[in-house]
Parts: sequence; C-alpha cells; structure tokens
Amino acid sequence: MVKLDRINISNEGLTKFFSPIEARIMTVLWEEGERTTPDITESTGIPLSSVAGTLDRLVKAGYAKRTVDKKENRVRYLYYASESMDSTANTITRKVLDSLVDTFGKVAIENFHTYNKK
Amino acid sequence: MFSIQDEIGCYMACISGSGLLPIISASVLLALLLFGSYLGAKGPKVRIYSFTAAQLCMLISIGMVVSSMHCSRMLSIEIYTAYAIISTVLILFLPRIYYIVLIRRYGARPIAEIMEWPQAFVDSLGKMEKSPGTREVYYYDSAVPRAFASGKAIFLSMGLLEIMEKNELKAILAHEAWHLRHNTRTPLLRQLSMITFTGNRSENELEIMADIFAAELVSKNAVESARIKLG
Repeated sequence: MVKLDRINISNEGLTKFFSPIEARIMTVLWEEGERTTPDITESTGIPLSSVAGTLDRLVKAGYAKRTVDKKENRVRYLYYASESMDSTANTITRKVLDSLVDTFGKVAIENFHTYNKK
Repeated sequence: MFSIQDEIGCYMACISGSGLLPIISASVLLALLLFGSYLGAKGPKVRIYSFTAAQLCMLISIGMVVSSMHCSRMLSIEIYTAYAIISTVLILFLPRIYYIVLIRRYGARPIAEIMEWPQAFVDSLGKMEKSPGTREVYYYDSAVPRAFASGKAIFLSMGLLEIMEKNELKAILAHEAWHLRHNTRTPLLRQLSMITFTGNRSENELEIMADIFAAELVSKNAVESARIKLG
C-alpha cells in the first residue's frame, strides 16, 4: 500500500515504501513518462486485473495522476507521475525523518549527525 | 416469559387443531418437488420458474401456518411479520432511489460528456419496449473494468470504456439494459428468497438470460469476448 505508515524496512528498494506492483508501475511512469493503461501492462508485464486496482490506489494516494484522452469515439486514461522520482524521494525522506524525530527526538538527530559525518 | 417449548407446543396444537395440516403438508411437498425440478432443469427460464414456484409454495405454507395460529403473543410470529415488512420495504423500494446514492458515491457523470453513442444506443433499446422508460448511462472514474445497473441507470467504469471494442460495449449495455427492463420483477425474486429463507439462486440464471438477450441483439462473439476481457 502507498502509505508511509506501513514502511517495511526489510524489503528491497522501492518496495520498502510501495507494494511490488506499485513500485513497478511508478518506475514505468518515472522512467517512461506519460503512459496509457495498455502501455503500463505491457511495460510491467502485470495483467490488467492487477494493474487497474493499483492504478486507482496510486491516483487516490496522489503519487500518479491521470487525464481522460478522447480520440475517434474512444476514450482512454493517460497516466503520469505526480512528481519526479527525486521529488517523491524527497517527500518520503522528509516524512520518515519527521516521524523519527517526533518519536525519538534528540537521539534521532544525533544519529543523523553521526550518519552525516560518515 | 418466552419459552421455545411453549412456542413449539402452540404451533403443534394450533396447526393440528386448524385442520390445515394436510394442505400445509401437501404445499411443503410440492415445494420440495419443485426445488428438485429446479435442480434437475437445464434452461435458465425453467430453473427460475421452478425455483420461484417452489418459493411461492413455501410462502403459501408459511401463510397457512401463520393463519392457523390462535395463541396470543407468539414472539416468533411477531418477529417474522416485522422481518417480512421491513425486508419488503427495503428490497422493493430502496433500489428505486439507491441509484441516486450510487451516482454521488462514484462521482458518476453522464456518458454523453465523453461519448455520444452509448446513450443513443440505450435509448434505441428503450423504444423497443411496450412501456419505454428513461435510462441514463453514466461513467465513473476507475481503471477497474466494471459495469452494473441500478434503478434507472447503467454505470460503466472508465477502465471498461478503455478496453472494450464498440460491439463488446454494445453487448454490455444490452445486458445491463435487460436487467433494468426487468428490475420491477427481479427484486420480487430477491424478496421471495428473503421471506422464505431459501437463498437467492436466481442471480446466475438472470445473468445468463441477460447475456442471451445481448447475444441476440448484438452478437454472441461480442458477449463472449466482453466476458473474457472482464475475466
């Protein structure tokens, strides 16, 4: 789930913050830019039945945005990432740091300094 | 003070004293035979008719049991009567207005805003009926392919509009329009199931009949490929 209160530090890469399907979809949107639903299913290799619900969740959580494209009596969604990967990384990092400082205060800040010196 | 033993004793005494026992037994037996015929039948229409007839027999049996009771303050009868009244009101009248709630909940918009032909197609289906009514087609914001009908409205998700070809979409609209065309009768089936405690086993048959209608109107291939796409 795209919720920072469910961070799983034992996972690898983006799956610490996103589910594996969400991570693959967001990577496609960050790397390839504006994409249709069939583009996303093709790039990720994930079936539509799994992609569709995940796209709804990513849009609801604000990580992705979509517009309706009308073309020759057909309609389709065009998806794009709300923010660049760096901006999203910045948002996530800030929220995690805020949470650590909120919980552990001085200890967390001392650890940041130690980490910075390394 | 409520006592199950007293209630059962009341039922035994009142039913045997009323002289209705043979008719009640015959009605229950007929219901069982009709349930058997439902299980053995293959065509969706025969299955629905035999199941509904069985439920009606059950309802008649329940009615005769209730009418033969002469004991005062029968808690089980009072509870059943309240349950029957409340469920009738909810099932028969709620769907008539529930679609308005659905429009708000899904943030649904008239489909004419993005595509013109679906509403015109549904309107043309309405004209074929004896008593045509207004049916609005709405779309809503979701990538999950889904279509459903409620009250006077057909709802299609954007995800459905994305993946379906025109013929498949027509088949889906015809299928949903069939449900709306019969939405004065299908709640009755649901209600019969509620008040006879027999479960609603007509849903699959209704889906098959809606598919048959869509196949006749559009094409069998369109119905099948739409079904495959919807998984």
